[in-house]
Amino acid sequence: MRRVAITGFGVVSPVGSSREAFWAGLKAGRSGVSRITRFDCSTFAVQLAGEVKDCFSLPEPVARAAVHDPKIAYGFAACAEALAQAGIARLDDHSLLHLGVSLEIFDMQRAICDGRPDIRKIAERSLGHDAPPLQIPLDTGARLITEQFGRPGRSLTNCSACAAGAQAIGHAFRSIRAGRCALAVCGGFDSMINPLGVGGFQMLGALTTDNARGPAACRPFDAARSGTVLGEGAAVLVLEPLDVARAEGKAILAEMCGYGSSMDACSLSAPDPDGDGAVRSMRAALADAGIEPQQIGHINTHGTGTRLNDEVEARSIRNVFAECWQRIPVSSTKSTTGHLIAAAGAVEAGACLLALLGGWMPANRSLDKIDRGCELNHVVGEAARFDGEYVLSNSFGFGGQNATLVFRRYNG
Amino acid sequence: MDSNDVVVTGIGMVTPLGTDAPSTLAAWRAGGTARRQALPELAGTALERAEVALLPSFDAAARLGGRRMLKYMSEAALLGCVAAHEACSEACVSRRFTPERVGLYAATGLAAAGVQDVVPLVHESIDEAGRFSCKLLGERGLAATNPLLSFKILANMPPCLVSIIECIKGPNLIFTPWEGQAGAALLEAWRAVAGGEVDCAVAGAADSASHAATLIYLRQAGLLRDGECPASGAAYLVMERGESALREGRHIYAAISSIELINSDFPACDPLAERIGRAFAAAPALLLALACCEPPGDVSITGVDSQELRASVECVR
Repeated sequence: MRRVAITGFGVVSPVGSSREAFWAGLKAGRSGVSRITRFDCSTFAVQLAGEVKDCFSLPEPVARAAVHDPKIAYGFAACAEALAQAGIARLDDHSLLHLGVSLEIFDMQRAICDGRPDIRKIAERSLGHDAPPLQIPLDTGARLITEQFGRPGRSLTNCSACAAGAQAIGHAFRSIRAGRCALAVCGGFDSMINPLGVGGFQMLGALTTDNARGPAACRPFDAARSGTVLGEGAAVLVLEPLDVARAEGKAILAEMCGYGSSMDACSLSAPDPDGDGAVRSMRAALADAGIEPQQIGHINTHGTGTRLNDEVEARSIRNVFAECWQRIPVSSTKSTTGHLIAAAGAVEAGACLLALLGGWMPANRSLDKIDRGCELNHVVGEAARFDGEYVLSNSFGFGGQNATLVFRRYNG
Repeated sequence: MDSNDVVVTGIGMVTPLGTDAPSTLAAWRAGGTARRQALPELAGTALERAEVALLPSFDAAARLGGRRMLKYMSEAALLGCVAAHEACSEACVSRRFTPERVGLYAATGLAAAGVQDVVPLVHESIDEAGRFSCKLLGERGLAATNPLLSFKILANMPPCLVSIIECIKGPNLIFTPWEGQAGAALLEAWRAVAGGEVDCAVAGAADSASHAATLIYLRQAGLLRDGECPASGAAYLVMERGESALREGRHIYAAISSIELINSDFPACDPLAERIGRAFAAAPALLLALACCEPPGDVSITGVDSQELRASVECVR
C-alpha cells in the first residue's frame, strides 16, 4: 500500500480565514465565538456563534450562489487555497473530490406569499423568469468547484453530519493508499448559522444558552459546560501518494496514516453511553495506521461542550489509551472555533497539522475546572509545544456516526 | 461463482409498483407501471398537470415491528427503514453477522421535509407586513414547531435510523443527493465486502421526490423531461461473500461481478423512469435490486450529476 502525503491545506474558520491566520488564531487561543450578527437573534435563547468575519474574492457563479448559501463561499475559498499550496491547477480523471456538508439552506421568506405559506404561490414565483432556486442541493459547492478547477474522476458529497469532513478525508486517504486515484481533494464546509439551523439545534437542546459567557461559552470537558456553539467555515486537504509528491519535490505537510469509522446504532441524538462506537472508531484507526495506542503523542478531541458527548469521549479515550492516557496531551479546538458540523473534522485535521508542522498544540481556552468523568491530560491556558510523531483526531456525528483520523509527522 | 464473489442475499424495496420486494418484482415482471396523479395542492398553477408517481399505502409500524422510531422519520427515512428492514430480515443479518462487521453504505435525496412540517413555524413567524420575521421565529415560531424537525431534515438521519433499527455498527458512508452519489454508495459497499473490510454490507438509498416542493424545484432546475414524473421510493441490498452465503445455505439472488462509476457526458438516463418514475437517489439501488432478480446482465444508469453507474450481475448456480 502507498504512503499518503498531505501536500495542501486551505481553511476558512471563525478564528482565521487562511492557513496562517487559522494557525495563529489557534496558537493564540483567540476565540471566534461572539454574538450572532447574521440575523436578528434577539428573541432566540441561543445568541452566540462562531461566524466567519472575512470576505472572499470569488468567481461570479460562486459569488452568486454564496449570496443564498454562504457555506459555498467557504468551501470554494478553502479548496482554492489548498490546491494553490499543492501546486495543482486542474483536477482530472485521476483525481477525487470528496467534501462533507450537512444541511440545505431554507430561505423562509420564499415560503411566504401574501402573508402566509402558500405552495401555489411558491410554484408560480419559482417558475418565473430568473427566480432564485427553491432549493440549493448539497452538491452545489462541489459542482462549482468542479466548474472552476476541472472535473475530477469522481466527485462525492458526504452528508454524515458532524463526521462528514473526517469521513471524506478518511475515504480519500484510503482511495490514494489503494491506488484508486492519484490525487484527492477532501474535507468539509458548512454553516448552520441561519434562523432554522440555530433554531433547530436550539430546539434539540444541543446549544448553550449561556450567552453571558460570550467568547468562552463553548466549554468542552468543563464542569460548567452547557452545550455547544455553532461555528461555520471549511477546510480542505490535498492528498497525494508520498512517493509521487517527493519525486515532484513538493512540500509535504504531514502524512496521513490511519482511518477508522463506526456507528453507535444506539440513539439519534446522544452518544452510546458506553462509548463503544467511539472506542471502535479509534481502535480501527490505530489498527489501520499499524501503531499501538502508546505511540500517539497528541489527540484532538471531538469535544463539543455538550454534557453527554464530552463525558463519553473522555471515557472512551481513557479506555483506548489505558495506561498511557495521562501522558497524552489533548486539545479541544471547538472551544475557540465553535462546532463547524460537517466541516469540523476537516478543520480539526488542520489543527493536527499545526501540531505536526508548527509544533504547537492548541489550548482548550475555556476549560477552568475539569468535570468529573472528563479527566484527560487537557492542554489548558496556552498552546503547548509538541514534538511527537503521531496525532489522532476524533469526529463523532449526530446520528451515531464516528470517524477517527491518524496523522504522522513527515521527517523527510 | 467463486466463493470470494460478492453476492446479494437480501433485497428490500418500496416503490410505486409495490410496497415490498416481491410485489414490486411481480408488478415489474407483469409490465406494470406506476399510478400517477397531479398534486391537488398545485391546482391552478403552471404545474397543475404535472404528475408524480403514487406510492401504495402501507402500515409502516407493522413493517418495522412497532412505532418506536416513526416520530423521527421523514418520508424518505420511513421508506428507507422499511426497505432496509425487509432486506436485512431476509438475509438474517442481525443473527448471522457481528454488528461491528456489518457496514452501512447509503444515499439520500434532496431535503424534503413535508410542507406540513414547516407550516406552523412559518405561520407563527410572519409579521404584520406579511414578511418572515426572525424575531417572531424566536418568540413564537420555534415554540409552535415540532422539536423533532431537525431529525427530519438532516440528510444523514435516514441511514442512521437504519443503523439503529438493524443494529449496524461497522464502517459507513452516506452520500447525497443524486443518482451518482447513490452509485458511489453501492460501489463502496461492494468494495468493502470484496476487500474483506466488512463481512456484510447493507447498501441502498431512499428518496422522496414526489412532494410538491420537490416537484417545483425539479421543474425549476430542468431535471425532469416532458412526461417524466418524480417518484418516492427506496431499495436496500444485503451484500456478502459467496463463501458465507453458500456455507449457510442462504438464498442467493445473484453475484455482482463488477461495479464501476464513471463520468458521463450524456444526459441523465434512468431505465426505470418510464415505469416507476424518477426516484433519483433511490434509482440506482432499485435498478440493481431488480437486476439481481431478473435474468443476469449488465445495467447502467446515468444521473443528473453526470456520473454513470455500471454493474455486471451474474446468475449463481
